[in-house]
Amino acid sequence: MILGYLLSGLVTGAIFAVMGSGLTLSYAATGVFNFAHGAVGFLAALVFYQLNLAAGLPAWLAGLLAAGVFAPALGYLLHLAMFRGLARAGETAQIVGTIGLTIALPALGLFVVDLLGLPSADGTTLPRGLGPHPALGFEVLGARLDTDQLITFCFSAVAALGLWAFMRHTPYGLRMRASVDRRRLATLRGIDVDATSALAWMLGSGLAGLAGVLAVPMLGLDATAYTVLLFASATAAVFGRLRSIPWTFAAGLALGVVQNLVAGYTDFLQEITGLRTAVPVILLFAGLVLLNRSRERVAGSAAEDAPPPDHLAGVPLWRRRLPWVAGLVALLGFTFAGSEYYVGLAAQGLVLALIFCSFVVVTGIGGMVNLAQAAFASMAALTCGWAFSAGWPLFAAIVVGVLAASAVGLLVALPALRLGGRVLTLATLALALLADQVLFQVDAFSNGTIGWALPALGFGFADTSDPRVRVVLLLTLIGLVGLLVRNLERSASGRAILAVRSAPAAATTSGLSGPRAKIVLFALASAIAGLGGVLFAVSKGSITATDLPAFSGFVWLAVVVLQGVRRIGGAVLGGLVAVAVPELLATWGVSAQVGAILFGAGGMILAKHPDGVLAQLAESRHRRRQARAVAADPLGPVAATPERATAAAPSAFAVPAQPVAAAPNASVPEALFRLDGVVAGYADCTVLRGVDLDVRPGEVVALLGANGAGKSTTCAVAAGDRPVSAGRVLLDGLDVTAWPAHRRARAGVLLAPEGRGVFPGLTVEENLRTWLAEPDAVYERMPQLAARRTVLAGALSGGEQQLLTLAPALARPPRVLIADEPSLGLAPMIVRQVFEVFAELRERGVALLLVEEKATEALAIADRVAFMRLGRVVWAGPRAEVDGDRLTAAYLGVT
Amino acid sequence: MLAVALLAGCAAQQKSAGGGTAGVTDTSVKVGGVLTKTSASGYSTKDAEIGAKARFERANAEGGVNGRKIEFVGAEDDGQDAAKGDAAAKKLVQKDQVFALVPVHAPNFGGAAFLEQQGVPWFGWATGPQWCGTKTGFGYSGCLAPKKGAGSQTWWGSQMADLLGGASGKTVYVQTTDSSGSKYGGTTISQSFQAAGFKLVGLNSGLPAAAPPPDWLPYVNKIMTSNGGKAPDVLVSIIAGTKFNVGLYSALKRAGYKGVLTDATSYDPAILKDPASAQALEGVVAAPMFEPFESTAPEIAAFKADVEKVSPGATLTQHMAIGYWAADIFLDMLKKTGKDLTREKFLATGNGSYTYENAGFGRVQYPKDHNEPNGCGALVRLEGGAFQVAKSMKCFDNVPLK
Repeated sequence: MILGYLLSGLVTGAIFAVMGSGLTLSYAATGVFNFAHGAVGFLAALVFYQLNLAAGLPAWLAGLLAAGVFAPALGYLLHLAMFRGLARAGETAQIVGTIGLTIALPALGLFVVDLLGLPSADGTTLPRGLGPHPALGFEVLGARLDTDQLITFCFSAVAALGLWAFMRHTPYGLRMRASVDRRRLATLRGIDVDATSALAWMLGSGLAGLAGVLAVPMLGLDATAYTVLLFASATAAVFGRLRSIPWTFAAGLALGVVQNLVAGYTDFLQEITGLRTAVPVILLFAGLVLLNRSRERVAGSAAEDAPPPDHLAGVPLWRRRLPWVAGLVALLGFTFAGSEYYVGLAAQGLVLALIFCSFVVVTGIGGMVNLAQAAFASMAALTCGWAFSAGWPLFAAIVVGVLAASAVGLLVALPALRLGGRVLTLATLALALLADQVLFQVDAFSNGTIGWALPALGFGFADTSDPRVRVVLLLTLIGLVGLLVRNLERSASGRAILAVRSAPAAATTSGLSGPRAKIVLFALASAIAGLGGVLFAVSKGSITATDLPAFSGFVWLAVVVLQGVRRIGGAVLGGLVAVAVPELLATWGVSAQVGAILFGAGGMILAKHPDGVLAQLAESRHRRRQARAVAADPLGPVAATPERATAAAPSAFAVPAQPVAAAPNASVPEALFRLDGVVAGYADCTVLRGVDLDVRPGEVVALLGANGAGKSTTCAVAAGDRPVSAGRVLLDGLDVTAWPAHRRARAGVLLAPEGRGVFPGLTVEENLRTWLAEPDAVYERMPQLAARRTVLAGALSGGEQQLLTLAPALARPPRVLIADEPSLGLAPMIVRQVFEVFAELRERGVALLLVEEKATEALAIADRVAFMRLGRVVWAGPRAEVDGDRLTAAYLGVT
Repeated sequence: MLAVALLAGCAAQQKSAGGGTAGVTDTSVKVGGVLTKTSASGYSTKDAEIGAKARFERANAEGGVNGRKIEFVGAEDDGQDAAKGDAAAKKLVQKDQVFALVPVHAPNFGGAAFLEQQGVPWFGWATGPQWCGTKTGFGYSGCLAPKKGAGSQTWWGSQMADLLGGASGKTVYVQTTDSSGSKYGGTTISQSFQAAGFKLVGLNSGLPAAAPPPDWLPYVNKIMTSNGGKAPDVLVSIIAGTKFNVGLYSALKRAGYKGVLTDATSYDPAILKDPASAQALEGVVAAPMFEPFESTAPEIAAFKADVEKVSPGATLTQHMAIGYWAADIFLDMLKKTGKDLTREKFLATGNGSYTYENAGFGRVQYPKDHNEPNGCGALVRLEGGAFQVAKSMKCFDNVPLK
């Protein structure tokens, strides 16, 4: 029998394998963990069903169109509308965006089906799959299989092999892996990372679509079942470390076997409800803790997003507070004048707001994304109900409930010490599912499906059965949490947390304990969520295990982040929005699915404005003011550049315009590469203030200057890595200013960036192939690289890495090579070798722009020299004219 | 300080409304329902609205109850979400000012505590414990989740024994999913079959609750060998959702199962639309808690005529029957309360030795049925692609739940 279970498990595990492979692929290629992967599968299944049933196409054709055309097209659309922006937004925004899609996509599909009057998608039945309907059964080695299972297995195997070959043995796969490894460097090598990630999303969606179509005869058209499938597949992806597709595939097959063995041989576990169902989730948790220890960041830091600039910083305090005070007064007025029903709604919104405040603590301040908040709220409420029914006074029961939530928070925070980023997020996801499926199923704890009844909370003269009392009580509590948050941010421990979040290593060396700060935050946030959960139960009058399902925790996070997760105001607004929107939709008679679709659209907004509605309002107000200020400013064009770096501004503007008017031979027509009056910078800070520079073929121009002069920015602008706000970049007389980096690289402008320009996660050979079709020429030149061609570049020494950076240029010389600090941190012998490479390239007619802080080596090879200071080229001329005085002037600003 | 002052203010003007005549005028009684019209899984009880409307229209056509017409405001959707159900109940009571909630048919209804606290009567059906231990909730099958020691149904096992010509020497295997609700159902139904004389050879709760398993093999193997290495005579499936049953039954039939298959949810004409589902369910004995539509009872003829009037050409579903019979009991209780109508008087009638019999759903007795099921049910068999009455509605005595 066990053989039958094994075989049959392998076959059925194929569905996890396909789903998981798509998840791994899109995560590995774009860095976005797509919670909506299951929803894409569902949508493809829905399209398959409609094509087959409504359009009358044969099953194979419907399946081909759904998985092969519709799903990739959907992936591409989502890439354009959302994922492209999300890849650069912080992790919180990524998670929230894809959670929004999980809700919106199925709703959109069902809404369209409704609208067009197509056959309704009934999740309670099993539609046909690709194979014969009903499926035919047969027996192999004691395992009874059917045709649907066989088809699933065959398609999965083909998909996996094809995918593996694609990733390992095609240039597309190499480009994809290079973009994952170092996105910026990939663009500098001429890889269009945007097109690459579009391809990854199309492939990932195609796999999700394939899994969706294959799973439909087993799951039915049930969006929830697809989400459950996604979570099981996530286990497989985690065992593939979210990187390796073959491992993910194998883990998926193994998961099928494990499920069969558990179902077949563990009847002794039957007493613990949910435990056996939860096996994939338990494995997910174990896999995360054991296999996915983050290599980059420590102490659970997740959100790498820096706080947005405080656009209201210049606004007086009373003005900042005014909208909130006005809102509070209006709410209180409404509370005492409004009807009981609407006041009750407001109170419900504030209960949610209180729970949402916990996100402000854990995500807004702590930078950790917690998907288990609903579990904490539920935990506290159920504990409170249990304690109350055991005879405890209500106040004591509430305290016990809150303490229980915070104790569980503490337990979760412990693995967070080892995990970082998304791994922590997934761990909280596993925890949320585990709580739902196992802990809350324990009858003694949750009192079965009936739950616990709780009385109103009395204060002697009033009790919480009156919604007005609830509003006032909740406002008070939210106010207290607000004070707590403010103190946290200003206290020593708050600063410690911020320090740990932005620079863990620096914080550690400063003696700050990141883990302790994180644990405190996590426990505190859990306590706040717990308090909210208890009040939820008290105002409802009862609590059951299903009142606050795990999935609502995901939705909550999305609602808060959409408003702004860094401030209590966002939480309050989120709570009120969460009750107001469904009410409004119901009043206007709009389908609930429209609400879900709007919610998903929120995720798209988030892709553009990752800091939420509140921050966006402040920013647009700031921009309006600025625009008005500019209009009023007589200096006009000068002020039109964004805010200047204040310290440097006065002296820079004291210099007359065009101080060097380019050195005598700068106007020589044969200049191959030319910067013409380039102004550029970062956000509100202008770094380059009109840079003029040109490089001719077969010439080395050394760009020298002190730290902070703008040399690296010049390189970035030259390569197209930073946008230009004024001026032009010319290549061979052609204006390439608007060209993105990868296009310039393809046209022959190669930047070897500061630090090492290698892909550490690719082998030496693969690194070379990102620029060369055939790397043999390099190996002949550099035997030390030939010997290590299968070694990962990250494992090479610093010198070897620098050689690897420049080697492709030797084999296939670019027209322009820009080298940013090529000798930084290298042994003198390697430096010599590097400069030999430059000399050789000059011989072969390459235009070289060499940027160095240390002048000696660069001067030795340079034909011409340009000095930069405060964002301008202050002197440019032949090497021969450079003497000690000029150097001193350039570096020290002495004239 | 401010908070305390405000709280005091609240206390001063608390409890102004709360009279029991909300939604009642001399000529009308306003009612509305809560249903799971939409849900993530696709499960929908929306047809109960048609059923209730059909019954109310008949009552109104007959001149209303005690001179009052029924003003049915329709049903809210709870999306199978307890919190939404709670909000929907609050909306109906506080905003729409209904007298009672009819029909309430949502498996995860979350408004029970609020309705009980407000003393608002509600009528409908669900297997969950929301209907139990209240004074205001009137399920037409009573409380289907009795506590230990309270009465538990025996009708399913007894009807099956009658159908099979006696239970002696026959074995039964009960399959549930891995959730506390389904496991509880497994306990009560095993007991029902044992009380009728069947021998229980297995009670398995290994099936995942959220989605069907990708592989039925381990479950089917257990069933096929449970009776001393052989298959049991009867398999009872306590699984919500046709797709689970279709998957399980197909796999069982492929493994050569020849015994009786029975469950509570397969009496659904929608199943017949799909040939594979119909084939998988062929021969299944479904156990509805109302008189089957194929019955010749005059009550069923009236039911069909009423529904046809409201929704011409509609396929009859069990949710329609549930809405219809819930409304029927409400109307009977309304009539027995008399002309002078308040919620207090209405509840006093319902909770004071109230008995109502009807061939459509058997019999209800309140307050007894607040804590135990009414003990009535029917059996239908799917034969040759059509449902046929196997056993008409009949009530059996409950036995205490172990």
